[in-house]
Formats: sequence, C-alpha cells, structure tokens
Amino acid sequence: MSPNTKKGTTMTTRLAFGLVVMMSVLVLPAHAGGKTELQQYFSNAADKVKATEDPVAKRAILNESLQSMAKALDIVETSTPISDAEAAGLQRFRNSLQEKQDELAGRNGFAAVPDAQLNAFSQYVVQDMEQADQMVTISIVTLLLIVIILILIL
Amino acid sequence: MLNLQDGSVHANPYRMLWVGVGCATLTVLLCSCSAELPVLREAQQADGGEQATQYSIVCVIHGDGDYLYHDSSGNEYNADEVALAEAQRVALRNPHAEVFIFHQRPRSHFLFFFPLRDGTFYYYRNGRPNAEELYWRDQEQAPFDTEVGLYRRFSAGNQPGKVSLFLYFGHEIPEFDGAGYDASYPDRPLTVQGFARGVGGFRDDSSKFDIVVLSTCFGGTPYTIGALGTAARYIVASPDNLHLSYLDLRSLERMDLGFRDVDVHTFARRYARLAFDILKGQILTTVSVAVYDVDRVQKFLRAFLSVYEYTLNSVKSARQASMAAIEHCDCADLPSVVLPAMSDGVDVFYRPPRFGRAKEKQHHSGWECWRERDPIIGRKPQFDEFKGAVETFYRP
Repeated sequence: MSPNTKKGTTMTTRLAFGLVVMMSVLVLPAHAGGKTELQQYFSNAADKVKATEDPVAKRAILNESLQSMAKALDIVETSTPISDAEAAGLQRFRNSLQEKQDELAGRNGFAAVPDAQLNAFSQYVVQDMEQADQMVTISIVTLLLIVIILILIL
Repeated sequence: MLNLQDGSVHANPYRMLWVGVGCATLTVLLCSCSAELPVLREAQQADGGEQATQYSIVCVIHGDGDYLYHDSSGNEYNADEVALAEAQRVALRNPHAEVFIFHQRPRSHFLFFFPLRDGTFYYYRNGRPNAEELYWRDQEQAPFDTEVGLYRRFSAGNQPGKVSLFLYFGHEIPEFDGAGYDASYPDRPLTVQGFARGVGGFRDDSSKFDIVVLSTCFGGTPYTIGALGTAARYIVASPDNLHLSYLDLRSLERMDLGFRDVDVHTFARRYARLAFDILKGQILTTVSVAVYDVDRVQKFLRAFLSVYEYTLNSVKSARQASMAAIEHCDCADLPSVVLPAMSDGVDVFYRPPRFGRAKEKQHHSGWECWRERDPIIGRKPQFDEFKGAVETFYRP
C-alpha cells in the first residue's frame, strides 16, 4: 500500500468518525426536545441563588433568569412563524413567568417573597416548571429556538 | 501478513473495524425484522418452585417524552427510571404477587437508521424476576395492545379473591385530541377514553381492577374518573398538578402485610396518605392525592358528567389557541357546580403550594374542572367563541 493510499484510508476513517460525532451532537439535543435544557436553566438559577448569601443578589438572579426567558419567548414569537396552538402554549408559559416575577417583586396583588424564603422560591420555580403543562403544545423546533436565543442573550 | 513496510498494519484494523460494524448492523437488521418478541431472559419460569399469587400488579411507565426533574440539591433524575426502580423493588418485596412492569421508552436507532425495540417488559413472580423482554411499540393499533398480549402470555390468571392493581406513570392524559402525547409517535393519540379501554383490556373476564393508581397531572377530572370507573373499583389520582417525582410506591412493598385485616378501600386510603405525606415533604408546589370510590361517586357523576362532556365537546370544536384562555381549577371553585353529592366517595389529601396565587387555598374537592383564565395579570381571552362553552359549564 502506497503512502498516499494509507493517507486516503486514514482520512476516510477520520471523515466517517467525524460525521458520526457530528450527527450525535446534532441529533441528541433534538431528541431531548429542548425542554430538558429549559429545566436545566431554571435549576442552574436555583443553584446560584442558594450559593449566594445576599438577598438582593438572590432576587436579582431570580429576576434576571425569569426576564431572560420571557425575552427569549418574545423573540421566538415575533421572529418565527408559529401555529395557534404554539402561540397559546407560549402565552401560558409567559403568563407563568410573569406571575413569578410579580410574586418576587410583590406586584399585582402578591406580597413580595420574604428574603428568608428566596431559596425555597427558587426551588418552587424549578418544580413548577418541571410539572408545567404549558410547554406541552410547544414544538421541539420552537423549544430549541428558545434555548438557542437564551444562550445568545445571556 | 503484517507488512510493516506498506502500512497494512494500519489498514487491517480499519478493515476489521468496518467488518465488525457490518456484522453488528446485519445482526440488528435481522433482529429488527423478527416477527416474534425475543425473550432475552426467561428463567425460573418452570422450576416448580412457584406458589399461588394473591396479588397482581400491572405497572405501565410512560418514559417517552420529557420526564427530567431535579431535587433540592440540583441532582437530575429521569422520572421514568426512578419509577421503574421503585416498581422493581415492589416486585422483589412481594413474595405472594405477580408483577408486570412495562417501560415505554423513546424510539431509538442503531447507527441512526436501524430501529431498536422501544419497550421493555419485566415479569416478577413470588418476589423473583421471571422474564424480561424487549418489544416493539410501533405496531400498536390501540393503547396497550402489545402490553395486553404480554400480560396474557404470562398471567397466572384471576383467581377469586386475588387483589389486582394497575399503576400508570406519565404526563396528564388528555380528555380530547391527545395527539403528540407520545413523543416517538406523535400521530398516535392517547385520550382518557382510549386509555380506559386499554386498561380494561387487561381484564379479560370483564372484572375490574381493585385499585387503579393514576400517577399523572390532573387525573381527578369527572371525565377521567367516569371513564376509568369502567375498569376500576377504586382510583387513586392527583386532581391537581403532580410533580414528576410521582406517587410513591413504598406502601406497596409487602402487600401481604399491608392488606392484613384491612379491606381494599382502607388499603387504597393508606397508600394515598403515605404518597401524599412523602410528596408534601419534598415538593413546594401543590400536592393533592385523592381516592375515588367508583360506586359511590356515580351519583355526582350522573348529575354532572353530561354538562362536563358538553363542555369538552365545545372545547374540541373551538380552535386550539382557545386553550390559552382556559385553565384547570377545583370544581368547587365554580360555585354553581357545587352539588350536594360532590364529596361522596372521595377522600382528599391536599396541601396548597407554598408560593403562587393558590397558596391561600386550603381545601380541594378532589374534582378538577376547567375555567376561563383570570385576566388579572393582563391576559386577554383570545377567542370569544369559547366563552359560551365555559359559561355553560358554569351553569349546569
């Protein structure tokens, strides 16, 4: 076998291996459907809140995480064509985020979450999202778009 | 053979690698084309050491979709895998039971093209693993078709006095439409009616399961209980949202002890109480677990179900986006729906969420309905045509 043939074989193998890795990278997140990433996003925020001592900083982390998610929803809704059912799902999701922001700040009939309960509130946000039915009607593509936009705006 | 000069020492391993991949692909293809369900492990089935079983547990775990949750330390869990481990522990700790566990997994492919079996069936008898099989979910014409076939193949039969339980773990089962429930088969709908028929399919003698446990969100709607009542004597369900950590199974371990000197209703109530207590200790969102005595709730259902079904039909005919304008609620929060028989036959364990608008709500009727969303935070109902249906529902 000539050195050129050997090089060609190695390149083909590398190319095949690269394609398999690339397909894995592209296919796996699509299979996860984006919801996992959204749940992870709120879980990470809760971890940061629990690791922070200052109540003002805790509140800021929570508010920012809710606000960024709401912003991502707005961008997706205005920039991509979505079905009526998806629009309804996004609206319900947005409403849920808005309620949490209101409770955090003590607006719209809510008493503000006391400083001593901010860790518990962050956990409540995570658990509420985990059981939330508002994401059921949101398609995988839209969820992935939300995740991508979230990464870009953070 | 190993010619170091021309580099074939490098080429041979690659050739062997590709041959290996080819062989593996062929094997998968051949297995994929098999019409029979392959028994991966079938042991101890005819060793003569089996005893009569007094308890039968059928457990279906829907693991196809997003079932990830986190504990307070941020650790990740897949709800279906946790439920499977719990069900297997129950199976091992019941020497007088036969336990059927069906784990519905996401559809997957070998090398992206060759489909793999996406269901796993476990059969335990007398506290020992008896059989384990992989099966296809793609051929199902109706819910639980394949699972019923496996159940009938292995079941020891329904002897008189045998206590039977059916447990389901999954997302909220839609009352209508139902498309997209199964992430791998989005065109295959699952609705409450189809689900109830599927559960009934496990009972070939038209008898009912003694207890059906519905570990899903919003399992306590009149429509769900009415439909499932055809296949169950008692139903344990969460009328409100249920966190993915699900209803705990610990109290099903050693059912021979659990059933000592108690009837089915008392056992169901104890099970619900313990599941409630465990959820209450871990979860900050709403915790609600109810036990429905199917015979005793008929009076309420007869008075209310036709109105509820009318509402569902109205919702079905409305456009999808009108779903944004409605939400689940406690039926007792709709004053004109409160009927004298509402609490008959329902034991409710309820704790409000620690945060959110519902945190002041101290009681739940055990029945979950639909209502128009409160526009207090700026939401605007989008479809006026839906309003009529909701108002009709308010005034039965």
